[in-house]
Amino acid sequence: MTGILIGLVIGLPWLGALVLWRVSDERPRLQHALAVAFSSAAGFASLALIPFASAETAVRIDVGRYFGELTFVADGLAVSLTAIACVIGALAVIFSMDYMRAEAQLSRYYAFILLFIGAMAGLVLSGNLLFMFFFWEITALCSYALISFYNDDPKAVAGGVKALLITQVGGIGLLAGALTAYSALGSYQVSDLLAKAETLPSNFLALTAFGFLIAAAAKSAQFPFHTWLPDAMEAPTPVSALIHAATMVNAGVYLLARFYPAFAQVPGWTLAVTLVGLVSALIAAFMALAATDLKRALAYSTVSQLGYMVYAIGVGGVLASQFHLLSHAVFKALLFLAAGAVIHASGTRDMRRMGALGKQMPFVRNVFVFGALALMGIPILNGFWSKEMILEAGLSHGPIWALVGMVMVAGMTAFYTLRMTWLVFFGEARESRHAHEAGRAMKVSLGLLGLGAWTTWLLIEPFSALLQHTLPFHGISSLNLSELSHEIFAAPLTYAALIVIALGLGIFWMVRKQAAGRRESWMDVLSRESFGFEWLNRRVASWTVGLGSVLQRTQTGVLSWNAVGILGALLIVLVFLVWSVK
Amino acid sequence: MNLSPLDIVLLGTVLLLAVGFYGLLITRNLIKLVLVLQILVKAAVMALALAGKSSGNLGLGQSLAATVIVADTVVAVVALALAVQVRKHAGTLDVTKLSSLRG
Amino acid sequence: MENIAYLLLGLAAAFCAYRAMISKHLLPSALYLACVSASVSISLYLLGAYEVAVIELSVGAGLVTVMLVYTLSVVGEDTYDPASVIPKPLALLVVGVIAVLAAWMAYPVVSRPVASGEVLLADVLWKQRALDVWVQVALIFSGVMGVLGLLSERTIKIKEEQILQMAETEKPIAIQMEEEMRV
Repeated sequence: MTGILIGLVIGLPWLGALVLWRVSDERPRLQHALAVAFSSAAGFASLALIPFASAETAVRIDVGRYFGELTFVADGLAVSLTAIACVIGALAVIFSMDYMRAEAQLSRYYAFILLFIGAMAGLVLSGNLLFMFFFWEITALCSYALISFYNDDPKAVAGGVKALLITQVGGIGLLAGALTAYSALGSYQVSDLLAKAETLPSNFLALTAFGFLIAAAAKSAQFPFHTWLPDAMEAPTPVSALIHAATMVNAGVYLLARFYPAFAQVPGWTLAVTLVGLVSALIAAFMALAATDLKRALAYSTVSQLGYMVYAIGVGGVLASQFHLLSHAVFKALLFLAAGAVIHASGTRDMRRMGALGKQMPFVRNVFVFGALALMGIPILNGFWSKEMILEAGLSHGPIWALVGMVMVAGMTAFYTLRMTWLVFFGEARESRHAHEAGRAMKVSLGLLGLGAWTTWLLIEPFSALLQHTLPFHGISSLNLSELSHEIFAAPLTYAALIVIALGLGIFWMVRKQAAGRRESWMDVLSRESFGFEWLNRRVASWTVGLGSVLQRTQTGVLSWNAVGILGALLIVLVFLVWSVK
Repeated sequence: MNLSPLDIVLLGTVLLLAVGFYGLLITRNLIKLVLVLQILVKAAVMALALAGKSSGNLGLGQSLAATVIVADTVVAVVALALAVQVRKHAGTLDVTKLSSLRG
Repeated sequence: MENIAYLLLGLAAAFCAYRAMISKHLLPSALYLACVSASVSISLYLLGAYEVAVIELSVGAGLVTVMLVYTLSVVGEDTYDPASVIPKPLALLVVGVIAVLAAWMAYPVVSRPVASGEVLLADVLWKQRALDVWVQVALIFSGVMGVLGLLSERTIKIKEEQILQMAETEKPIAIQMEEEMRV
């Protein structure tokens, strides 16, 4: 039964992608209907999979001598991420019914979204390292195709190429790690790596560990690979909500969480993970303070919250990090979709040109406020519980200076979130715009996600029990609601964090009149250059192009020089053969 | 230095091969290039027969050599037809002027 | 005695090949190639490979020479024979090293001949290497198709005529449209 459900969860979206590829663009209603049907079916299948989660391998297909076995394991980590991907995917597709109503080439759009959903499910369910890499690359392809969806806009294409290049560099880390593990273990199976990690020679294990860390940092837009996510906001907003907030960027966090027991023993690894999370959270929150583009601000916020999750893994709180992943997926998707409704209605992404839209769009304003409260970590929305769990884990196992940084980030988060909400929905209307309320399909998605922001924290007990029983190597202990409340409300850290959040809110309230100013300050310059990393990107790009033009001189097009090349290669082969025979 | 007959044949084959490779690098005329390829083919045929003789299995050596001759003759025919068309369309058979595949 | 024969034949083959390569006119090159083919064929005969010797002589000295001469008649002779693009020392170096290495590799194997068990060519060709024969048939077929496609002038001419006809019929229409626009 588990195997069938796994097949449905990966196969239904892929079948949908194939079908939608063939549907003509002359029939948009059919396209919308088919996309919603396939993604909803996948969503239901993923929810049906949850009761069947276990630590055993559900599907095992032999693929020959060199690749080992293609296995799928439906354990707690996999099943929860699959459910997030499929359910939020379905909601994003439903939202797209209204958002993409007048767009062209919908079959390309929906086909890639469905392909992505299936690939994401395959990525987290995979029990074979090589196939995990395979699904990883498919998600990178879909991300590129969807960011550059408006392919006659050069900014969109540039954003897509940048995302692709940076995440591919990470992919090399994943492949190198997988191959290193294979050469030491003789097997690509994840369960083998987790069980026998101590038996690996220490430099092999370190290479694998840091290779995976690079892959995770690149995929989750963490420092030093954080520059691609803000530029990826050229994608249509449902894509930003699904891929760049709720699913693909979580793949990096998933990777770290899955392999934490194997790599925690590598000296310096947990410290590196903590640092990556901390620095990402700090610089992204800083860049969000001055952002003027609504989606870019949300992108910085995503990087910052992912920094929280990575930090949590670094200090050993895998349960806290996964719980925050769940909360964040819900409230960030909510925020992005609501932002999409605002952008669709008002025609601009620049927050300085919005204002007082709450009067014209009450429903969107309300759900956006819910999402904002969750992001800030206000009790009792889901963000509060998971963020406090992370801070608790940081206090008990991690370095104090890192914890201080994370609490500061909580304050900055409160500031920029309130700033975003205020600039868009409250205050005075800076430009008179006529914004219509969101359409019916949009309201369905937004409403369901808004409900989730208030309630997903109630799932802590089944969630932690699921992880405890299906992850034999992680040592997670289950937690029920009363234990959780006791832990959070009895800890002084919680109150300290709440005070810092209130401080952030208060500071914004005092400066709210200057929030919509148009002069560019040093903060804007620093954000735009991503703390110097954009310069680094430009250097690498120009160096590569220069190398290409130098090497271009070998392509003379003249047959005689090609013949020299052929004979030169023959020479090298002969030298090698003669030398090796000796 | 006592060289067996087969050694002499080896030296002759390698010499022919060397002349062929040198021609491959030096020639600028497409038709002469086809001719040079034919020289290389003859060297290959000699080598195959030599290998067959020295390993005792002349039948296998000869059958492979026959296959090589057939294949390379077909290649030469098609290459000459191509050269005729190149002459008609580009006006020249000089390899250095036919560099439209420049990178 | 055998040694001298092989030596002379080898030197003759190399010499003729060299002359074929550096000759300024293509017709003498084709004839020198025929001489190379003859020398190689006699060597093969002396080695004991009788069937291949015959094939080599007929194909190399007959077929290839005829084809080269025919192509020369179609294409015409380019009397300008320019110097090579690759610097000669580089070419000599590369070729020399390859030759030395190849000889070095092959020498130990060749000079210890094994006594031959009498295997007939016919047996090998039709039974063990039957696949080779099919491959050769496919090759010849595709070669014929290739040459027919490349050298058929008729279809090109017919297409040219069609294009000219279409241009003729569209000319009055184009002139009409111009007049209408001017009005």
